[in-house]
Amino acid sequence: MTHEKLIYIHPTPIRVWHWLNAAGIVLLVITGFQIRYAEVLNLMPLKETITLHNYVGFGVIAAYFLWLYYYLSTDKITIYFPNLSTFVAKAVKQVKFYGYGIFRDEPNPHIMTPENKFNVLQQKAYLGIMFVLLPAQMISGVFLWKVKGYSDYIHLLGGIRIIDTIHVLFFFFFASFLVVHCYLATLGHTPLAHFKAMITGYEEHR
Amino acid sequence: MKKTCPLSISIGLSIVFACLAAPPLARAAIKNSDCFGCHSDETLFRSETDGVSQSRMSEQLFIDKEKFSHSVHHSNGIGCVDCHADIKNLNYNEEVPHKKQLAPVNCTMCHEEESAAFKDSVHMKIRGKGITMTCYACHGYHYVTHQESMSVVERVNNVCAKCHNPYLSHDWLPKKNEHFAFVECVVCHAPEAPRHIQLTFFDLVTNKMYSGQEILKILGIAENEFMPMLDINKDGNININEFENLELMLKQKNVHAIFHAELVVEMQAMAHQVNKGTAERDCKTCHAADSPYFKAVVLLLTKDDGSANHFQVDRTVLESFSLRHFYVLGGTRMKLIDKIGFLLLAGGLSVVLVHLTVRIATIPLRRKNECDDKQLSLEKEVSQ
Repeated sequence: MTHEKLIYIHPTPIRVWHWLNAAGIVLLVITGFQIRYAEVLNLMPLKETITLHNYVGFGVIAAYFLWLYYYLSTDKITIYFPNLSTFVAKAVKQVKFYGYGIFRDEPNPHIMTPENKFNVLQQKAYLGIMFVLLPAQMISGVFLWKVKGYSDYIHLLGGIRIIDTIHVLFFFFFASFLVVHCYLATLGHTPLAHFKAMITGYEEHR
Repeated sequence: MKKTCPLSISIGLSIVFACLAAPPLARAAIKNSDCFGCHSDETLFRSETDGVSQSRMSEQLFIDKEKFSHSVHHSNGIGCVDCHADIKNLNYNEEVPHKKQLAPVNCTMCHEEESAAFKDSVHMKIRGKGITMTCYACHGYHYVTHQESMSVVERVNNVCAKCHNPYLSHDWLPKKNEHFAFVECVVCHAPEAPRHIQLTFFDLVTNKMYSGQEILKILGIAENEFMPMLDINKDGNININEFENLELMLKQKNVHAIFHAELVVEMQAMAHQVNKGTAERDCKTCHAADSPYFKAVVLLLTKDDGSANHFQVDRTVLESFSLRHFYVLGGTRMKLIDKIGFLLLAGGLSVVLVHLTVRIATIPLRRKNECDDKQLSLEKEVSQ
């Protein structure tokens, strides 16, 4: 592999955020299961699990603001917004690739560049995750952390059970996403290519 | 020996039994009105203070007749001298018509079970340290009311908080505010006492509880019509459907009350058996799906005298959106959310497994394509 084929896609702040976020989400998912199913899981005591869950949650919130600051300050936030006029056609192509072409070793219809690093399916998914699901999860998590302190807001939003339902459903979504995300990361030209890129910042082009 | 006819015997026995069975007030020669002749005077005070401040003693000698009339003892026909049993008669020739120094009231004369539970409690054991805890230290003197309709905060303020500030201890307990607002002290500190989740009607707009009378008035029914109206299947239990019907009925009356839930002990003797070191400290006892703390649920229609009508509610109501403003981590979780969650997980895993399987199965195909490509490019090079 020559250096001409390497392209710098993931800048340092994004790589730092990504791995902080990844470690945080993994810990939140594990501790989340322990908290919700304390009667069947015995990974660690409930009280300590909740404390760890809270600290990690605030860590993920801090990492989110690092991500947000980087993308807003560099105007690169647009990479998360798909072009609606070409979205359907590109999405069909991408689905065909993942569902058929990839098994025949066909080239990925999306060519990754620093300005356009996500394919349209990734754009759509990450747009929802970063702008809706993760903020909702963070806000609901903070409310659950201090139920009495935020009781007015909780009442306004329909009650503690509504907040908990949102937090738990999104928790399951993130647990499921974690599995799918890790698998999709193995779909580079080698199974570890995308993992390496998220460490070095450089993606290898075939 | 004079013969007595059978009729006379039966009449005589009837009178004896009637006297024995009659409430204590009937036996007492002294009526409450006799006592209030002096004790309704706000300026009444004791000149011999026995070392206790005069103002405090005068406060104790004055009895607020109105407040006393709402007390649980008065409601049950207990008169002054039933408790102050050492007053046998009143001699108005004296400055004070009875003994100046009365014996301490012995509540155990009536409250035997409570007394037995109390004897095996830390509050009794501290007598060994020279501290005497009396019943009225917690419950007060003349104005003891029913506590059933009280909220957790009212119950705690009324009793435990007179001596204990829970915030100064419980350092091990996370989320003190939440626990103290929702769980009555004795739920954990008298773990043998039966307990239940009590549901009351609460208006978020006015920030006040609806009394039972208000709810009945809104529904336009009498007290004895409440359960027959709700309990459609007549099993003596309000199930989730019947509970939702109640919600709907209130909404139709333009009342948007929520159900306020708290964990309290039942008003039984065992609530007095508070002991050091026996309090519940294991988080998982409450915060687990099969927690014994959330097995019993009652809906309360409160009464003005502090008592309440209890209506048994099915536990599944705790795991529904009918109680939107109540949730105990792990303890009242909704099974439906778990099912949806595990479907989400299974969906993600399935997509990965199916894709991975096809990916592995098509490895020979990709290798063949690679070989064909190499051969084609080789042929091209040769032809050039």
